[in-house]
Amino acid sequence: MAFVNLQNVTYQYPLTKTPALQNINLQVDEGEFVAVVGPNGAGKSTLCYALAGFVPHFFKGEISGTIEVAGKESSKSTLDEWVLNVGLAFQNPFNQISGAKYTVFEEIAFGLENIGVPREEMKSRVEDAMALTGIRDLADRSPYSLSGGQQQRVALTSILVMRPRLLVLDEPTSQMDPIGTREVFGTIRKMAEDGMTVVLVEHKMEWIAQFADRVVALKDGSILLEGKPGEVLTSDLLAENGFGSSRYTSTAREAKKRGLWRKENLPVTLDEAVEGFALTLPFSSPKGAPRGRGESGK
Amino acid sequence: MHERLSFHIKRDSVIHRLNPLTKLVLILALILIAFTFPWYWAPHFLLLLAIIPLGILGRVFPEFFKTATRLILPAASFLFLMQAFFQPIGEDVIFKFYFLDITQESLMFAFRNAMRVFVMVSAFTLFLLTTHPSELMSDLTRRGLPPQFAYVIISTLQILPQMQAKAQTIIAAQRSRGLDTESTFLKRAGSVLPLVGPLVFGSLVEVEERAIAIEARGFTSKNVKTSLYEIPDPSFDKFIRWSLLGLVILSIAANLWPS
Amino acid sequence: MLEKIKNNFNTQTWVLIPIAIAINIAIGQIVVLLKLPVYLDSIGTVLVAALCGPWAGALTGSLSNIIWGLAVDPNALPWWPVAAMIGYMAGRMAQWGFFKEWWKVVVTGFVVAITAAIVSTPIAVYLYGGITASGSSFITAYLMQTGTGMVQAVLSTGFLVEPVDKITTAMLAFAIVLGLPKRMVGGYPKASQVEVSSGANQTQLYIAIGVVVLLVLFAAFMLRNILGG
Repeated sequence: MAFVNLQNVTYQYPLTKTPALQNINLQVDEGEFVAVVGPNGAGKSTLCYALAGFVPHFFKGEISGTIEVAGKESSKSTLDEWVLNVGLAFQNPFNQISGAKYTVFEEIAFGLENIGVPREEMKSRVEDAMALTGIRDLADRSPYSLSGGQQQRVALTSILVMRPRLLVLDEPTSQMDPIGTREVFGTIRKMAEDGMTVVLVEHKMEWIAQFADRVVALKDGSILLEGKPGEVLTSDLLAENGFGSSRYTSTAREAKKRGLWRKENLPVTLDEAVEGFALTLPFSSPKGAPRGRGESGK
Repeated sequence: MHERLSFHIKRDSVIHRLNPLTKLVLILALILIAFTFPWYWAPHFLLLLAIIPLGILGRVFPEFFKTATRLILPAASFLFLMQAFFQPIGEDVIFKFYFLDITQESLMFAFRNAMRVFVMVSAFTLFLLTTHPSELMSDLTRRGLPPQFAYVIISTLQILPQMQAKAQTIIAAQRSRGLDTESTFLKRAGSVLPLVGPLVFGSLVEVEERAIAIEARGFTSKNVKTSLYEIPDPSFDKFIRWSLLGLVILSIAANLWPS
Repeated sequence: MLEKIKNNFNTQTWVLIPIAIAINIAIGQIVVLLKLPVYLDSIGTVLVAALCGPWAGALTGSLSNIIWGLAVDPNALPWWPVAAMIGYMAGRMAQWGFFKEWWKVVVTGFVVAITAAIVSTPIAVYLYGGITASGSSFITAYLMQTGTGMVQAVLSTGFLVEPVDKITTAMLAFAIVLGLPKRMVGGYPKASQVEVSSGANQTQLYIAIGVVVLLVLFAAFMLRNILGG
């Protein structure tokens, strides 16, 4: 049976009139890296909260269907037990700083102190986690003195250090530059290859295409489409439903209308776009040769 | 106003190395003795013979002196003046001001009370200068203080300076727009409300997400919590604590003894 | 008993308390700088009391007072039992349903004020001989000089000064609850205590403000009588 198993999950926040999640069926295998995309208000964050146990344990409200992770059922568990298996990091890094600690090292150790990890093991786990996300040099800084991107790395590390079996991330790199994003995605990818299951909400389609195994597209609380990143992210259904797409996809989609894109699939990443356009544009340089602006202009 | 919250001075000294609970017992003992020992000059002697030497021993005297003169002295002086003027005790009038009599008794009374407050706050200051809040909280949590208390205290110490900085900005903005602190109070209040509102609401809407973030990190876990730091508590510290307790009991007994 | 204390505290309570303390202190300082004739240093305390319960309110009040005493004005330190009782009493009043409409909130403020005046009396009398470092001690001093007993003098001063401040405080705390999105209120332990009934309308607000203005006028009148007579 799948490691993560959502069966007919419908959920409604208290004091609201429409369900935030409607009849969600989702299975994720152990070690799989699944990305979730969708427009604002599609229920992406709610899905994250449902996986991480906060829906319904924290938010109350009405839920039906079953949520299972690692063979345990959410409704039969308590939140404090659930978070031992499922880690959650979300977008706003400032609100994820516990406030109870003065240095980044202590901040990352906070979760381990709470769940009672012995001191020596705690220290080595914090060291390892910081090395993994590349923030060793921040160890003695105050979490409040960091940039947004650095704080996001600290937030991610603070969850990774707890070694969850399922990692739920809600736009964890929104304040990072492209280099930082690539590094963090590389780390997450590696964690997945080592057996950690990852569910990630993300807007940056190019990164999803490069790193995720599967994409789930949410719209109005339901799953609209799911499948391989290359297929889902370029599908016309998504474009028609107000999903954002990568600039390479939209460019190629326009190009296709004018007959300038001959491949069957649209690209998501820069490399795919270059490869595709190389087939149609007469002046483009052959594959492998340097692609400079000066050259293509000649 | 916001540098005052980071009291702790990171230095190595005999006082810094004491167990935080020992230091806490020490200052509470000093305060209780200052308030209960039935000898007029007790607070003065405690200040000269205990608090100041401890400050020097703890290698924080310059900082201690600065806080004492900038924060504690004005407060104690104000209390002294209020009491000297308004305390209607004593017969021996030295000075008359409208309906207020300043008597020798009221002066003496005011001076002792001001000194008691001075001892109390300077003892606390000494404690805060030589003790890191996380050390204190780790030690107290290990001894059974609910860990949520530690969270509240340290979190407050970190949020407050941020909030004060925002409040400062609001006031500075009002001043630069020519806020007249002498105009009618409704006007003054009305001008600040639209600025304080966002400050308050902004911090309150964060509560939910912050709660989620710490719950995701096991804040409500029922496991026995551990601590990153080990706070030493040698038997010498225990000896000091019991001795201090003895002194406090003696002082209270002397206070209650029918003279 | 222990269970009753515990049910005031969930994770949101623990996160709210530091913010409430910071609100107390930040607004308290702004008020001092603006020379307003009130303190307004317990808005956060009343807010916690209403949303989470009396024990959480008492804890917020105590900690605010201690931190204010150590960081802003040392003369505040001995008064922490008063701050604790303000939180406790506001929580009890909310529990009895007095935090749902403007006029009820005015009653809450009044009861809290009387409580504060009563609790501060023994501290003022035993620790300070009646005269504290607060400006209102001027009134106490006058009453004592003209032959009023110390306890009566301190109590009268408290009854005169506290209501305006505490009613305004309670009303501001209520305004904050009304201003928060409903969804944000639901997660606190005693959210049902502040489920506003239909009476929280504008007319009531105007009446409540009127009550406060009357109280200010009354206090000013009494002061003039005391000082002029």
